Amino acid sequence: MLNVLLAGVGGQGTVLAAKVLASAAQSKRWAVRTAETIGMAQRGGSVVSHVRMASQGEELYASLVTPGTADLIVAFEPGEAARALPYLSRSGTVVTARTTVQPVTAALAGAPYDGAAVIGALRSALADQAPAARLVAVDDAAVTTAVGTSRVLNMALLGAALATGGFPLALDDLREAVRACVKPQFVALNLAAIDEAARQAAALG
Amino acid sequence: MTEKLLMGNEAFAHAALEAGVRVVAGYPGTPSSEVVETIARLRAQGRAHGVSVEWSTNEKAALELVAGAAYCGARALFTCKQVGLNVASDALLSLNYVGVRGGTVLLVADDPGPISSQTEQDTRRFAAFAKVPVLDPATVEQGFAMMGAAFELSERYGTPVILRPTTRVCHASAFLDVAEETWARELPEGGFQKGPRWVIFPKRAFEAHGEINDRLRAMASDYGSDPLLSQFNERVAGGVAPEGAPMRPPFAIAAGGVSAAYVREALALIEREAAAAGVAVPPYRFLQVGTAYPFPEQTVARFLEGAPDVIVFEELDSVIEDGVLQAVGRAGLAVRVHGKHDGSTLDRGESSTRQVVFDLARYFRSADNDHPVMPVLEAAIGRLELLHCDEPLPPRPPVLCAGCPHRGSFYAVKRALGKRDAVLCGDIGCYTLGNAAPLDAVDTCLCMGAGITMAQGFAVAEPGKKCVAFVGDSTFFASAMTGIANAVYNGHDITVCLLDNATTAMTGGQQHPGTGLTLMGQQRRPIDAEAVLRALGVERILRADPFDAAQAEAAAREAIGFEGPSAVVFAAPCIQLAPPKPPVAIDGEACTGCKRCISSIGCPAIGFDAAAAGPASKGRGTAFVDEALCYGCGLCAPLCPFGAIQPAPGAASGKGAGQEEADA
Repeated sequence: MLNVLLAGVGGQGTVLAAKVLASAAQSKRWAVRTAETIGMAQRGGSVVSHVRMASQGEELYASLVTPGTADLIVAFEPGEAARALPYLSRSGTVVTARTTVQPVTAALAGAPYDGAAVIGALRSALADQAPAARLVAVDDAAVTTAVGTSRVLNMALLGAALATGGFPLALDDLREAVRACVKPQFVALNLAAIDEAARQAAALG
Repeated sequence: MTEKLLMGNEAFAHAALEAGVRVVAGYPGTPSSEVVETIARLRAQGRAHGVSVEWSTNEKAALELVAGAAYCGARALFTCKQVGLNVASDALLSLNYVGVRGGTVLLVADDPGPISSQTEQDTRRFAAFAKVPVLDPATVEQGFAMMGAAFELSERYGTPVILRPTTRVCHASAFLDVAEETWARELPEGGFQKGPRWVIFPKRAFEAHGEINDRLRAMASDYGSDPLLSQFNERVAGGVAPEGAPMRPPFAIAAGGVSAAYVREALALIEREAAAAGVAVPPYRFLQVGTAYPFPEQTVARFLEGAPDVIVFEELDSVIEDGVLQAVGRAGLAVRVHGKHDGSTLDRGESSTRQVVFDLARYFRSADNDHPVMPVLEAAIGRLELLHCDEPLPPRPPVLCAGCPHRGSFYAVKRALGKRDAVLCGDIGCYTLGNAAPLDAVDTCLCMGAGITMAQGFAVAEPGKKCVAFVGDSTFFASAMTGIANAVYNGHDITVCLLDNATTAMTGGQQHPGTGLTLMGQQRRPIDAEAVLRALGVERILRADPFDAAQAEAAAREAIGFEGPSAVVFAAPCIQLAPPKPPVAIDGEACTGCKRCISSIGCPAIGFDAAAAGPASKGRGTAFVDEALCYGCGLCAPLCPFGAIQPAPGAASGKGAGQEEADA
């Protein structure tokens, strides 16, 4: 069983990312269930998408990843990575963007929250509580700048997550799923984001 | 047939079409809206032949329309969210007495949590109150099967049938095989057959009540014996008694809805852990009660035979638990029943696999603490202890979108009121979000259309206060017009602010009578809300562009100053309908860091950089615009006392092209 949680802010594209992952799993003939946040939270609130894949022929009943069992959390925003941490299993991986999306509450308070500090806190939380867990902070701005639009952030993060290894889906599975799920006019941009994310991950070793 | 990743609501739509549904009507409401939308889309694609589908004005209108179609013998589907059934309840309770000819299914989506609702009411309870059968799916696939079975059951007994998925079933997705094309069933010979049964009179109602009671007994029996329905009351056994040990009666576990899926997951998890540790799981038996009403009492009594204890898992109310208690009592069984009543399971909110593991462990422990599986369970629970990050995180509540016209409307009313003592009554829709700081413009929110009538109650009880009611355009047609008639008739001093964004925004942008575009693709003449207000006798009606701050404030001031019912129509389209304009720019040289822009309207596209040192900011930092979020509405520009906010000169916006995909 593979449990994946996609965490972000309404509008960042968690729903499409979940569809793409589900499609990739389906092409491997794994049973898949996904679940979405739809409704009020879409208006700039915290959103999560759940993807569960029965990679070893297990029975799959529930669509939600239950807290404490996510093998992979892909966060499109560092604060949302921290918010989603209770979902992570003790041997799971968090892949997070570094770029923050500041909520209105932060602007009102005049105190933007510090994404780097959150990532640092995440790193030490894992070191203290779950030494087998991993954290990968992605320079998402470098990827989206290279591709030319922040609208492909979701695929950049998925690309980075699969490129950093450990998860039994290959980048080519992801590319194939993008071709199957994304509107034709946007396929090239999304593939470029995956390629760039993979290139940067490889450069970091 | 092709296998597709379908959201629960999409799957239920396909199932209804495959069952030959001819007439579909509903009113949008999360988590139910996608059912009607999917049927409309498949019809528009030429794949669903012969079906008529509509968004009705409200739930009551939809159900009454569905009733008429069902009297003719058409298979008919009604959809709404749980609170929508409150609105349609008048029709439902009588309809059950009259009965139906064509299969009639009410898809009513419940919302444990609640995630997007005012209440955690349980439609299974509503079904029992209305004496209407209800089916309760655990998964997308089961909901798909239940839709077809519900039509069969409805026609077998001439009863409306409720299918009650919850949010986590409606908005879950799974791969399903569905038909490429569907055809609505032809009406039976002759269509509507006139006769006394269709006119509800007290004498007929007395007879019908007996018929209802008879058919409920028959259905409860079918739930146990008819394969079409008994498949939803699946029984599973597991675990093993250790060799040589005294025979222990199995643990009994019952569940309904998505909790049944969580129990199956939890049992699988416990069995995996036990197998890895080389110990046996104690014998257990599990029953899903998928047919919640009429309660399948005999099935449950058989399930409980020989079990000293049973634990019941279900979200929302203790419907199954109460049914189990009743079954135990009537059958005279010596079974202890655990669930919400004795605190063994959650009494509100959503459950989860993790929660069920904890509750099951406690259940096992209380009965057999020395069982060898207990240390394994304790270890598994230890591993499920949640990781936590102690860094304080900013709350991220949902907010009005950047560029949302409601922001300007709220700001105008607040400016017009100034320091006057006022009560601002909100309503159901995106504009409920106007309650957040800094707008702080919604003091109450109750139910659809209530803002207008509640404002009248405030006006009567506290005549010194100014009472303003905000209502959206879809809510206006759904349930506000009677309230306005009441204000005019009884002469209440209120100001109605109609926030007309030309769509039903919160639920995903559905059409309504004010837009005139139907789900059948026809453009009708839109009903002019302003003309409705006038026809209802509202004497002072103003119209304003919420993005024109001066005009909007002047209109609000005049309406609020009027003694008696008045109205302002704030008209500007939702950002989902309007293309973005080039983003505004904040001149870092001119910005003084006063934060007037931020503290006035709270737009998510305006941030503040405390570290930026502009020449005018005296070390306070400066405001900045997030160009990816800014819609260029310009509401903020005149707010700046220093002229630091300017629309970007002729900048071509890059937004639009890729956005749809990223947000899809």
